[in-house]
Amino acid sequence: MKNKFNASKVSVVLYWLFVLAMLALFFTNDFGLVDLHKTAIITAVGIDVQDDEVQVTCEIAVPQPSQSGDNIKYTQIQGSGLTIADALNEVNSKTGFYPQLQFCKLILVGESIKERELFRVLGCFYRKNYSELTALVAMCQGKASDMLSLQSPVSDMTSEAIRKALSEEIEKSANATSVNLKDIAMSEYSRSYACYMPYVEANIPGTSESGGNGDNVGGEGGNSGSDGQQGQQNSGQQSGGQGPSEGGGSSEGGSAQSGAAQQNGSGQQMEFTARKTAIFSNGKFKGILDEQNSFALAVIEDEIRLAVLPCNADGIHYTLGIKNIFCGVGLKVENGTPVLTVGFEGKAQIQGARVVVDPSETSKDDFVKDSILQAANEEMKKRFDGLLSQLAESNCDVLGIREDLYKFNTKYYDAFKDDILSRMEIKYEINIQSVN
Amino acid sequence: MKIKVRQICFIMIAYTAVTKLLIYPTALAELCGRDLLFPALINFLIEGLLIWAVSFLCSRTDKTFFELIEGTLGNIGARIVYGFMAAFFMLSAIIPLFEQKQYVHTIFYDTVPTILVFLPVFIFTVYAASKKFENIGRCADICLPVFLAVTAFLFLMAFGEAQWDNLMPILQTPATSVLRGASSTAFRFMQPCWMLMFMGHFKYRNGDAAKITLSYAAGAAIVLLFLAMFYGIYGEISASRTFAVSRISIFFPAIETIGRIDLIMLYVLEVVMLFALAINIQFAVHALMRCTGYGNRKVLSLAVNGALLLVVVFCAHYFHAIQIVFYRWLWIVTVVFAVLVPALSWLLKRRNADEK
Repeated sequence: MKNKFNASKVSVVLYWLFVLAMLALFFTNDFGLVDLHKTAIITAVGIDVQDDEVQVTCEIAVPQPSQSGDNIKYTQIQGSGLTIADALNEVNSKTGFYPQLQFCKLILVGESIKERELFRVLGCFYRKNYSELTALVAMCQGKASDMLSLQSPVSDMTSEAIRKALSEEIEKSANATSVNLKDIAMSEYSRSYACYMPYVEANIPGTSESGGNGDNVGGEGGNSGSDGQQGQQNSGQQSGGQGPSEGGGSSEGGSAQSGAAQQNGSGQQMEFTARKTAIFSNGKFKGILDEQNSFALAVIEDEIRLAVLPCNADGIHYTLGIKNIFCGVGLKVENGTPVLTVGFEGKAQIQGARVVVDPSETSKDDFVKDSILQAANEEMKKRFDGLLSQLAESNCDVLGIREDLYKFNTKYYDAFKDDILSRMEIKYEINIQSVN
Repeated sequence: MKIKVRQICFIMIAYTAVTKLLIYPTALAELCGRDLLFPALINFLIEGLLIWAVSFLCSRTDKTFFELIEGTLGNIGARIVYGFMAAFFMLSAIIPLFEQKQYVHTIFYDTVPTILVFLPVFIFTVYAASKKFENIGRCADICLPVFLAVTAFLFLMAFGEAQWDNLMPILQTPATSVLRGASSTAFRFMQPCWMLMFMGHFKYRNGDAAKITLSYAAGAAIVLLFLAMFYGIYGEISASRTFAVSRISIFFPAIETIGRIDLIMLYVLEVVMLFALAINIQFAVHALMRCTGYGNRKVLSLAVNGALLLVVVFCAHYFHAIQIVFYRWLWIVTVVFAVLVPALSWLLKRRNADEK
């Protein structure tokens, strides 16, 4: 009788099963199981600098067991230390979560960074595997911890509400200049040694200042309404939120704050805008670009689908929508002089005018008169001029002109690198045409 | 014949490329910055020439490399050479093993896992190295389509983020730095030795040398495109981005909405990487078998993998030091085994005295 049991065949099958099982476990990371309900995920980080310490406020999403409805709670945990890693270690000690920041989508830097070296503070994020460099970076009015603890009508998650103000869609309308960790590092460590990031402001809903020229969202510039409000919030929060550090070690300002109760003394919800831009050179803060200069920067740096440009022509205020935009800067050296050409092309249509509407005329909004187009050209030139003047004054090359000089006119780099922003001639080639 | 020319071509495309997508781009970016393509080009040209030379040698003889040495230096001489070759293949497997360990631990795990997590890889390599020679070809048949599909997907995801002018201006790096970049990373270029091992194990037909060399050129082109794309994406901060292949696709807009779908591709690519990692161990076992004359592959596979396992376990925390040793000194070993030995193989007697 034939022996049906073939030991070698069985051992091969067993061997394969074992290998497959181990590989499956290996590649699906089941060796490193993490129970989501016992942990927390950092969704945003606020960074403030106080004395020599970095104060890190983490917005944390804590999954809650739930059969239906909202099952994520958002809270803020704070840690501090000489480096961000120290502070995150304190956060780790409070949350029990290894803070790899893989899910961190926003890094908000408080105004205290003005006195510090940006990349000394942010350096931690560029170290191996701490973060994927996709997180958006923005500077905010006041303290980042305060900003993250505000409530928003847009989302329960404050960082998400702020990210909406930095979203790709807003970027495509030139209303914000969004950047991520990679963008600012590439720009800073290029030959331009400069970078920029959006400047986030909080506004009380319905406080848009009068007299705006069409650029405003929720109050131009001053946010006068929000300052006082925020001051209240700060004091309210501090009295409610400060407590002894739980992390031990050198940190002193550690406090665990749970969301809504301490977010805002009056429970007032806030709107966020990011229409201004903070600029840095050699890691040092150099100033804030206003809405018009930020618009010019956004038009040059981003791909814009539809920009809204206000202008005055024939004594009437017009709001134009500009589409099919092609914009860029090019540097050439002509007869030993660096010449920067700012090119802008776009198709305009009338979106609004400060006159009584005549329904029979609105069908002609795509036919924009030459006088209006001329005014639009001049408005764009004024904005580019304002941007370039401010950059030259602060010697802050966020447009990457030195980098362009090095890339495409290398032999002139050493001669012009120090003073090119003030030395270069500027030519404008602005051509806004009617859509039809 | 144990392996087909098609399979050798597949190996040249897939394994040449896949072994250079982790730390190699970062190392080149650190050493040569914007000119990182040039040291790679130097190594690829030298190696491509040698691969053509060895492939063309196969048109002149049906003998294996062992038999060629035996015909010239005698059996003992051939065994000694194969002993050194075995050592060289084992040495060539060390950095890829450490790379894989670091890569898996870093990219696929949220926390820092124990080294035990990586050790199941050795079950695979023990098994692969205990199989016969034709097994290498079959694996290549599976790996190439997988590799091409995954690479195309990852490259498409990354393409839009690359700013190609980041590579400008070219050749501003001092020549000494470019040469240092080429020599420091030369230990990753051992493919001519693979061709030596394939000698006599496939039937040469007209034009096969060109096919194999062009396949190698295709693999090299994939790596060069990858290097350009990687530097285009990260510019001056490329040197801080290790495990490059896992970094290029993360800026794809859809990832923001649907999550890290690129990780699926990276998991699949990892399988190809493991086969590419195993090939050096397979050749080490093969060379050791000819060197010792001992015919049991399983025992030799256990011995070779055991030795590598000990290195991985006991040197787990010395990867940086090992890298420095390889960067500074291992190019000499590579020049001897992957350049001189293949070049000198043309000097070996291709006919025995009684065949004249």
